[in-house]
Amino acid sequence: MGAFHCAVCRQTFFCGKKHIFGKSHQSRLKVVILKFIEKVKEARRTIKTPQVERFDGTKHGGTFWCYCCGIEMERNVTDGNVVVLHGGLLEHMATPEHKKNTQRFWWEYKADPKLMDKVLITTDATDRFKAEVDKALASYVEKEDTVLLQHTHMIQCQERHRLEVLQSFTEPEVEQELSNGGPSQGMPVEKAARPLGSKERAGPSWVKAKADGPGPGRGLTFIGHQDPSNDGNVHTGALPPWLQSDPLKEGSEGAEVGPSLQDFLKHKEQEKVKKLPPNRVGANFDHSSQTNADWLPSFGRVWNSGRRWQSRNQFREEEGKKKREKQGESGDSKRMRPNP
Amino acid sequence: MSLFLPKLSSKEEVDGAIKGVAEKVLVLRFGRDEDSSCLQLDEILSKTAHNLSNMASIYIVDVDKVPVYTRYFDISYIPSTVFFFNGQHMKVDYGSPDHTKFVGSFKTKEDFLDLIEVIYRGAMRGKMMIKSPIDPQNIPKFDLLYHGI
Repeated sequence: MGAFHCAVCRQTFFCGKKHIFGKSHQSRLKVVILKFIEKVKEARRTIKTPQVERFDGTKHGGTFWCYCCGIEMERNVTDGNVVVLHGGLLEHMATPEHKKNTQRFWWEYKADPKLMDKVLITTDATDRFKAEVDKALASYVEKEDTVLLQHTHMIQCQERHRLEVLQSFTEPEVEQELSNGGPSQGMPVEKAARPLGSKERAGPSWVKAKADGPGPGRGLTFIGHQDPSNDGNVHTGALPPWLQSDPLKEGSEGAEVGPSLQDFLKHKEQEKVKKLPPNRVGANFDHSSQTNADWLPSFGRVWNSGRRWQSRNQFREEEGKKKREKQGESGDSKRMRPNP
Repeated sequence: MSLFLPKLSSKEEVDGAIKGVAEKVLVLRFGRDEDSSCLQLDEILSKTAHNLSNMASIYIVDVDKVPVYTRYFDISYIPSTVFFFNGQHMKVDYGSPDHTKFVGSFKTKEDFLDLIEVIYRGAMRGKMMIKSPIDPQNIPKFDLLYHGI
């Protein structure tokens, strides 16, 4: 027994061909053939309607591996500008060498003979494919031409529009001359025509638009020339008004921007307080409340088992009684009893 | 060592302290400066005051100067230490009959530190009644006088 390299399992076996009937080989074979058949199916779909597209190196440059022949083939056929999808695949499938190799592959690896036909493509099919490809190419070229024409048309329109806008800006000058030189249509047309001697194509439409001028008909209102002689202009690079020192405000604030130190410290304290747990004791205690001299804090008194605010009342009561005792000098003082 | 601890000598000042101290435990020692137990307590308080400055503010109050509070807090023995947090009185169960104040001095600094920490933690959690971490053996014993006798 010689050394036999199985391309499917990618291993070299020394005990003959018995592994081919084993489970792992057959399953691997199935997977391989399935994948291969998928690719061929896709290519077959395009026999009737070949797809012709502009060549894009990133998408169309792929190769595929033909298991039967053991070689790598270009999937698509291209001449640099245009590509026919799956062209290479179909061409290769039709060659007689490929047929021989396929048969050998099937015999060697004992694959399912029914599936063999799926991997082969007849020469008739390829001839049909080539005819279709010619037709497809012709139509593709036509389409490209139309798209190109559209683009050029659009560009020309844009150019024309730009010219019109440019002319409308030079119109105020011409307007003035119009009012000075008396209302006569002939003069402004001549004057306007001179600066655009070169742009004759846009001439007629441009002149017509100018006849109205930027008046109320155009949607703009002329408010008079702005005289920047004192302070200067944006164009002369003068200091903007918001950076100029205001004669009214000077001397009142000095250049203080932002909160004062006190406010800032208070703010910091507030930030800290916010982070404390909200259910802590006395969270809602108002530290800055003004209280009078009689104020007493809430105190859970010693003999008190009730609510804490009661202790205040009880204390005041006791105080009141004591005072009355002292004033009245009554010997029979009431005994204090702890609260139940 | 009460020289280093701030003193409050009138009701208004005490009120100000109770209302003013925010988010910290307020420790009010009621007693007299000359009394020996008070001196002992004051020493512990002043030694720990700095370390506890983030958690507690400690003040000395002379019982003779604020008779209203002496009566209100029912201070019969000195020194007595009362704890407040955000204006609320904190009760602590020391194992003694009176939960409203700590009567007497602490045995060690650590006891006082532990107590303050436990009070602070309890207050942050919203508890106004707390169990003291001090060993009951170290708590000074006293008898609670019946009110009105």
